[in-house]
Amino acid sequence: MTRSHLALGAAALLLAVLAGRYFVWIDPGARCMITIRPSLVGYDNTAIKRALATLQHASPGDYRSVCTHVGTINPNPACGGFGGGCFWHHQGQRGRATIDVSTEHGLIWTVAVIVHETCHARQFHEGRPPGFDLEHECYGEDDRIMRALVVFE
Amino acid sequence: MKGAAALAVAALVIAWLWASGFGWFDVTRFCRIAIDVDLLEGDRSAVRAAIDLVRREDPAAYRALCRWIDRIQEEHHCQAGDPSADPEVRRAQWYNVATLEPTLRRSFEAPACYVRGSRIIVLRRPRTEDARPTLVRARAEALTRLAVASQTFWTSRPR
Repeated sequence: MTRSHLALGAAALLLAVLAGRYFVWIDPGARCMITIRPSLVGYDNTAIKRALATLQHASPGDYRSVCTHVGTINPNPACGGFGGGCFWHHQGQRGRATIDVSTEHGLIWTVAVIVHETCHARQFHEGRPPGFDLEHECYGEDDRIMRALVVFE
Repeated sequence: MKGAAALAVAALVIAWLWASGFGWFDVTRFCRIAIDVDLLEGDRSAVRAAIDLVRREDPAAYRALCRWIDRIQEEHHCQAGDPSADPEVRRAQWYNVATLEPTLRRSFEAPACYVRGSRIIVLRRPRTEDARPTLVRARAEALTRLAVASQTFWTSRPR
């Protein structure tokens, strides 16, 4: 074992730790793994992890839905802009979805956007018919989770 | 050996500065709470003043705060619901807080809130009309109350 081997091993370990901390959510108990893309602006990826942990502990049903329908979270401002979210799909894409979730407005909003976009991913996977009011249902979902989780009095 | 000791001291000093600079750090009580504020407008000192007031006036509440809260975030407001769930609001793409339903309106006005499932308290950003002593007092009272909400969540949930 030479010094260079040790240095390489240490660098690989450091990379694995950083990737585990910032770019992936793993919950073996729930068989849930979600990748988190690097964030170029705004807060770091741990904001997404805090939001997922909040759902995991306070709303297991919503958490299961995220794990079932979402495979990747992009924490950068995208089509939803700063503070919004987005769900992208095309007809050939049937697997777990990618959702854009901006984290600029803190924990409550991040949780709400994740639940909202997961609702769209679920609608897509369920093959909702054209003309169905997709947005109304999902705004109702994020409103519900905010009312359930926020204690202010 | 001397070099290693110097390095260790330097690492300790950097860790201390990091913990103190970006949060509340009370080494005597093993209490560390991260404080997130806006990069440009945020003021951690007003948050620290509120925690310090809790520490001085109510040691039991301070212990609960240190035990059940690990992060305080300053945001525009708390929000116990989404006004956009109302189709009228979505169509208008605008809403007036004064016309929202009472629970939602009170959450927007609240000085702070706790998010169930987390150990995080969100503080409403100060408004220009907020006098600092009143703000610090209101925040201290909210921190005391919401630390109990976090304790209740974490101790009463099924395992």
